[in-house]
Amino acid sequence: MSHTAEVTTAKKRKGLMRKLNVWTGIVFGVVVAVAAHYLAKRYIPMGADETGTVLMDRVVITTMFGWTIGFMAGVGAFVGPYRWMMNRDLDHDDQMWLAGKDAGMARYFRFTTDHKVVGIQYLVITMVLFAVGGTMAMMIRTQLMRADSTFLNNTWYNTLVGMHGIIMIIATIIMVSGPFGNFVLPIMIGARDMAFPRLNALSFWLIFAAVPVLLSAPFLGGISTGWTAYAPLSTQAPAGMDAYIVTIIIFAVSSAVAGANITTTAVTMRARGMTWNRTPIFVFGTVASVGVAIPAFPMFMASQIFSGLDRTQGAAFYDAANGGSGWLYANLFWLMGHPEVYVILLPALAALLELTPVFSRSPLFSFNSAVGGIAGITGLSMLVWAHHMYASGWAPDLNGPFMLTTELISIPTGMLFLVFIGTIWRGRVWGRLPMLAVYAMLFNFLIGGLTGIYMSDVPVDYALHGSMYITAHFHYTLMGGALTGMIGATAYWFPKMTGRMLNEKIGIPAFVIMQVGFNVTFMGMFLVGLQGQQRRVAHYDKLFENGNFISTMGAYTIGFGALMLLYTVITSWRRGEVASDNPWGAKTLEWMVPTPVPLENFEVPPVVTSDPYGFGGPDAYDLEYEEDRRPSDDLETERV
Amino acid sequence: MSPVSVSTRIRHFTKRTYVRHVFLLWIFFTIMVGLFAPLQSKLMGPAASTQMEVVQETMTLFTYMAAPVAGLIFAVVTYSLLAWRSKGFVAPQYEGTNSRGNGPTTVAWILVSSLLCVVLLIWGLAEMADGQTARGDERARIINVTGNQWVWNFDYIENGNVRSQELYLPVNEPVLFHVTSVDVNHSFWIVQMGVKVDANAGAVTDMRVTPTLIGDFDIRCAELCGLNHSAMFTKVHVVSQGDYLAWILKNGGHQ
Repeated sequence: MSHTAEVTTAKKRKGLMRKLNVWTGIVFGVVVAVAAHYLAKRYIPMGADETGTVLMDRVVITTMFGWTIGFMAGVGAFVGPYRWMMNRDLDHDDQMWLAGKDAGMARYFRFTTDHKVVGIQYLVITMVLFAVGGTMAMMIRTQLMRADSTFLNNTWYNTLVGMHGIIMIIATIIMVSGPFGNFVLPIMIGARDMAFPRLNALSFWLIFAAVPVLLSAPFLGGISTGWTAYAPLSTQAPAGMDAYIVTIIIFAVSSAVAGANITTTAVTMRARGMTWNRTPIFVFGTVASVGVAIPAFPMFMASQIFSGLDRTQGAAFYDAANGGSGWLYANLFWLMGHPEVYVILLPALAALLELTPVFSRSPLFSFNSAVGGIAGITGLSMLVWAHHMYASGWAPDLNGPFMLTTELISIPTGMLFLVFIGTIWRGRVWGRLPMLAVYAMLFNFLIGGLTGIYMSDVPVDYALHGSMYITAHFHYTLMGGALTGMIGATAYWFPKMTGRMLNEKIGIPAFVIMQVGFNVTFMGMFLVGLQGQQRRVAHYDKLFENGNFISTMGAYTIGFGALMLLYTVITSWRRGEVASDNPWGAKTLEWMVPTPVPLENFEVPPVVTSDPYGFGGPDAYDLEYEEDRRPSDDLETERV
Repeated sequence: MSPVSVSTRIRHFTKRTYVRHVFLLWIFFTIMVGLFAPLQSKLMGPAASTQMEVVQETMTLFTYMAAPVAGLIFAVVTYSLLAWRSKGFVAPQYEGTNSRGNGPTTVAWILVSSLLCVVLLIWGLAEMADGQTARGDERARIINVTGNQWVWNFDYIENGNVRSQELYLPVNEPVLFHVTSVDVNHSFWIVQMGVKVDANAGAVTDMRVTPTLIGDFDIRCAELCGLNHSAMFTKVHVVSQGDYLAWILKNGGHQ
């Protein structure tokens, strides 16, 4: 197509679609929200026996859905289906425009379908969510520095505990499969984009739309329930709870869309010659993660729809007085809640498995064990949810079976550990930041995993359930394991994603400070947990003061390290040393394309002839062994 | 390479300097992790019930079982950082081994972890079976517990119409609590006795305990139950059988 022809087409086609971006989305979202608010107030009927709070819940939920739908329309999410219905399906130019061809920075602020843009968008929103959730954690720890602190009142404390929880859960769920699953995974398998580019953009902008909804909760009376939002406490909670409900519903849609997209991409779009044996392990981890999410999150969504109906329509799903049961909520919640920790963990571990061979210059030790471990965890993760409910009284007779399934998970998890240490064994370890993350993860996740075995035991769980010990345990897995993995993945793929090297002169000290602070914080929590401090309390017994003080000091250390790391990321991104195409000498496909990665990744579709782990030379052990075999063999003979 | 017997291979393997170093580190880390066993029992305090004794026993056993596993992983990663790291910021000059796996190691690893898992399971089921026999224990004294934002009420139904907000228990007598809630979910936790069950609205849950120490212990709500969750705290007074009876009679109950 000649240059002039391109210009004329662009002029001819210059429609409304090309004017939409995040700002039009916000404006349209606010307008629709305000309209929905007034319409709801005016037209939603209220029964004679209903209270004002029910009406408020109805109005708030309607307003929030108004915002979401308005925002999504305003940002251009519905252009494709609309044009298709109007029988004016998007043509090639429109597709190219949507993919952000030649659009520069502007493409990051609109509904862009290029998977690399979506990956960067996810990375930024993840960091923003971590910053918000982390600030909340600092406030919580400040309150808990002293036994009778008055830094926060109980309403704010409970709200912050809940908000910190749900923000961090959302952030950790998207932190690896969002940025790297979108940016890196398609290139890694030799694809030109995701299977469904528009769904890809949709999944990101839904999360963007959910953020203001969630952040409105403190201004609507707060969330008094913690992130678990157990019923019937949630039925009693103020309108802030509606923000939680709407957020989860939006998020469930987003994760379903993203899950279908990533799975389809990995299954159908791998390059020629990339058999499953040659597919990088990161692809397995990410697909397993979103594969677990696909059945898990609808449970969460259902639980919140029921919760919303209880609050606004007088339904009684969770109301024991009218035939419902709080245990229904607990079951639905943990049917999501336990698979979800593996949704978080698997891609992070897989990312570290991907970079361990590169940084120890050895092949992945036992690829089959790695895949088997991931598959085993994936399968078992669906069958363990009620270990969160040993002490709930729901089904004491099922505690035995759930103890069995929970303890079985230690076997596939152990296989992943074997792969890590087997790869490092007699490797040539390159001590850069990504590799340090592997070491930190092995240390933290081992502690998190082993303490998990304690509480899989039913009588021990009776003693520890609901205590700070649990808080320490899951932070060791989700933060010490998964978040550390995400930091490693960021450091590893930073050159490819941003075109610049991450400055490790500040990055490594920052990372080490964070890790030290992390261990101090949560060792302190193990301590007070064993002493008997319960979770989610704003005030506590004098007995726990020392442990809590230690935790708070550790938390400030994490905060300091995290700020340093954030500073490093931002400065390196803006003016770091320019990266070559393959600074680590890795062998996966994403390092074979130029940096910055061109719009459709590959000019010629690649053909894969081996797996990407062909590192290492002849085994030094065997050489040495050959050499000094003879004398000792002689010795052997003599003895005989 | 000509075939060599397995025992010779193993003997050669154990002669490697790095294998010996890793082995020493393994022993060191195993002891370090094992030291947590007495520490955690100390932090949990003296067991105030038969149930807490089981909990502490289990945690001690699990720690001793976990110690060699954790020790091995700590040993390998520590040694690799000390001895197999290529110094400096540039890419390593030499490659590592090209070993893509080792069948016997993998099989042994899976076998050992499965074996450990079986031990955990059998131990856990045995403990729970003990609990099952206690379930049929007809001698247990029944006390009703009701959670209410943000207080606990105790009804001593076997001793007439006695209600208190601090719990009194006779020592060395099995007790069966029927636990419920009038509003949201709470969790009834007697900290030093290592037992806990949720108090659910519209349902009754059971919890058994046999206190073994005379003294005052803590009851804390372990399920977030709204505004004053942290203030939902009371005491349990474990007293001799005689003192218990005296307390019941003083509060208008009968034997």
